[in-house]
Amino acid sequence: MRFPIPGRLVFALAALLALALAQPANGAIAPDAAHSPNAEDMRTGYWVMLIVATLISLAFIGGLVVAVRRFRSERPSDQPRHLTAGRGFIAKLGAGLVALALAIFVFGIVVSNGVREATAEDGAEEIEIQAVAQQWLWRFGYPEQAEGSFSEGISTIFSYGELVVPVDTVVNLNIRSTDVIHSWFVPALGPQIWAVPGETQELSFIADEEGIYPGRSTVFSGAAGYPVMRAVVRVVSADEYADYIEGLNTNLQEGQAAVHEAATAQDDAAASEEDSATEEGE
Amino acid sequence: MTPPPTIAERRPEVVTREIPSWREGWTTAATSADHKVVAKLFMGTSLSFLAIAALTFALARIQLIVPDSTIMRPDIFAQMSATAMVSITVLFAVPFVLGLLGYIVPLQIGARSVALPRLNQLAYWLYAAGALVYFVSFLYLAPETGLAPQPPMSDDLFSPSGGVDAWIGGVGLATLGFICWSINMIATLKNMRAPGMAWRRAPVLAWAARVVSYVLLITGAAMVAALVMLTVDRQYDGVFFDAGLGGEPMLFSHLSWLYFTGIHTVMVVTALAVISEIIPTFSRKPLFSHSAVAGSLVAVGVLGTLAWMQNLYASPLAEGFAFFTMLVAILCLVPIGLVYIVWTMTMWNGAVSTRAPLVLAITGAVALVTGLAGELATSVVGVGLLLENTVAAQQDTILVITGFVLAMFAALHYWLPKVTGRAVHEGPAKAAAALIFVSALTYGLAMFLAGVAGQPVDVFRYFEDDGVSTLNLIASIASFFFFVGIFIELVNLVRSYSGGRPVGHDPWQGTTLEWFALSPPPAHNFDAVPDVRSAEPLSDIREAIRERKATFVPPEPLEATEPPEPEIEGDTPTADPEDIVSEEAEEPSAGSDPETEVEAEEPSAGSDPETEAEETAEPVEGSDPTVEDDAADSGADTPPVS
Repeated sequence: MRFPIPGRLVFALAALLALALAQPANGAIAPDAAHSPNAEDMRTGYWVMLIVATLISLAFIGGLVVAVRRFRSERPSDQPRHLTAGRGFIAKLGAGLVALALAIFVFGIVVSNGVREATAEDGAEEIEIQAVAQQWLWRFGYPEQAEGSFSEGISTIFSYGELVVPVDTVVNLNIRSTDVIHSWFVPALGPQIWAVPGETQELSFIADEEGIYPGRSTVFSGAAGYPVMRAVVRVVSADEYADYIEGLNTNLQEGQAAVHEAATAQDDAAASEEDSATEEGE
Repeated sequence: MTPPPTIAERRPEVVTREIPSWREGWTTAATSADHKVVAKLFMGTSLSFLAIAALTFALARIQLIVPDSTIMRPDIFAQMSATAMVSITVLFAVPFVLGLLGYIVPLQIGARSVALPRLNQLAYWLYAAGALVYFVSFLYLAPETGLAPQPPMSDDLFSPSGGVDAWIGGVGLATLGFICWSINMIATLKNMRAPGMAWRRAPVLAWAARVVSYVLLITGAAMVAALVMLTVDRQYDGVFFDAGLGGEPMLFSHLSWLYFTGIHTVMVVTALAVISEIIPTFSRKPLFSHSAVAGSLVAVGVLGTLAWMQNLYASPLAEGFAFFTMLVAILCLVPIGLVYIVWTMTMWNGAVSTRAPLVLAITGAVALVTGLAGELATSVVGVGLLLENTVAAQQDTILVITGFVLAMFAALHYWLPKVTGRAVHEGPAKAAAALIFVSALTYGLAMFLAGVAGQPVDVFRYFEDDGVSTLNLIASIASFFFFVGIFIELVNLVRSYSGGRPVGHDPWQGTTLEWFALSPPPAHNFDAVPDVRSAEPLSDIREAIRERKATFVPPEPLEATEPPEPEIEGDTPTADPEDIVSEEAEEPSAGSDPETEVEAEEPSAGSDPETEAEETAEPVEGSDPTVEDDAADSGADTPPVS
């Protein structure tokens, strides 16, 4: 039975495949360029494993395809040929594959070891950031730069959605969540880390260049807001960073002053109202 | 000797088919505990969920054709993609495997039934109830929290709707069914193998059944426990997963990933086993190394299931556990690689016949290894933390599922003639295979690139400046073609089920015992079970017949007279087929009584080819037209006088 339409469909699909291959979106096959030492390790792992996986799958596919093409025969009366492996052959083959697997494993250890930590050169400055996820935004606290604190360990100054950090500085993130599981993932600056309620996960990076690095959450956190559960890391120079913190602190103080003023005024008003109420009551 | 008062005295199963069934149609199907009836229900129901999965997958992709799309509400999209994922894994993949193995494996091991038929039947009805519970929720509010809703997302605080409860009920009931099936299969495999079928001679698919049932028994129990805890949390104010009150949300993630990794392993093991059955048959050569494949299936089962933390590298996990997981995941390369090399070596120097089962099996093998190689790459922790939970890692799994689906189609083409006695049309199957394969590969490539560019899984929209618009368009179109391919093949299977060309009992010259039974097999599977002396019992029988033909000296031609009477015939000890088979193998078969054999069986009742031909035991040409040449020839000969 002939099926001309699927044949054409397959052809159309092959054209699509070619189109996908020719797609140069976002540097095509390369992930976002790395801007932190631990992200560089991950890029090494990515490229090597891409090649290894391609070669391995091509080898197995090639074996099957060659065997089918070469020994294709429609003679059903062929006598079965008995060609089976001895134990030694399979053992040798297995040993070879085990060696290959162990080599990949050792390589994996090398590129993955300490992937959550960016190793700093001596004397590099370190700052600590509290990254707290909630549905559906990130709140970044700067506890070391804050003037004063509400309670121990909780920063008074925040930024939402955008994390501003100085360049060439070790940034230690403490990643937490207040509601459901989220994921911190800025591809240029290292691995993805889940923000799990009740746990604090640590991740550090050293941004080597100023710029804006986009990130997104990769764990489903509710239908509506999950696609916009994104974060941006803005890497700036040390001076700009100082200005930024200064601005946050000033904003906070102005805000607090304004709140204080308003509260006092309200208190006064309430007090006078109370007075008048008391008078009326009398 | 006076005839017994009843027709069924010493071998009741032989005459059961003479008694007309008092139940008809669906009543039989719904109430019979015959493993073949239950298995057909499993396969039929699960194939309908394959259609639903492919449809919802394509529907969800409609939303992602263009950036910033507003075609669907986010919750509708989430319901579609959740339904696609649950349908393809829990409602299609596992039940189909259970149906296929439940039908074929008892036949392959020469069992006349299964050990616990009612438990087997209960397994199906639990699964059917689970599917019903899941889909009834579309009447009020379908689950929208993905394949496995992780607490706290699935706690009643964040998902107050009944959808999650429907998900718990559906998956929980189906999983209980899988556990029941596993218990039955383990008992059957332990106790009901044919005489002589040591494990080293057991067919590859029986090994797969053993691995699958242990994996499902262990991981299914973990999943049921997790679901019970989640129910307690949701309905009775439990705190198992409530971090604020001392619970541990990651516990659910570990248990549910153990289960879904188990399902993934089940898919891979079954696909490998099915392809390992098909390739030797269509190469006309025995499997290059039976023991290597059997051992590899066990190794994949153990290592694959142990690698469940592959998807949890980013969670709070000690580095040692991540490296352990990486080790076992990478070690899967060894058994899977061995199996692929054995396949190549099996075809080497063979006579490879590119019929539909082989074409489907090979395309399935290619899709499978493409996906598995991707998973090998992401199992390296550093790479996993870059690609995991992006569409790049998801497409690996989708390619594995595609390979599994193609392998299962291959299995249907291979074994459906046993189920129905009819061939499946091959033309549409090859077209569908090409369509499914190319579209899955296109989808995989496009999504790989999109994932590398950072597109996360399960998002209902992306934005123009994400740079993944064209890739998503391509992937969406590919997913529509994918659906078309699945649809073509399903229609083909339905049409061939009752409308295919009748092909007899052994259309492929198979080497395992299921081809010794009739097509379709009677309720008791076999009239006589031969002794098994190798991994390929039917090859032994053919070899024995061939040898006998070679050394056969024709007797003096008999005078044309009346055929001898059956009673007289029965008294001659040479008329029993089992004796002939065992004679060649130089060991008398146990438990065969020539007298009963001949009394009980009628020539026209259609037992297995050889048996039937010998049974007539007369120098007349009275053999089954569908019987293969060797058997037919020997059947027409007069049996040698010992």
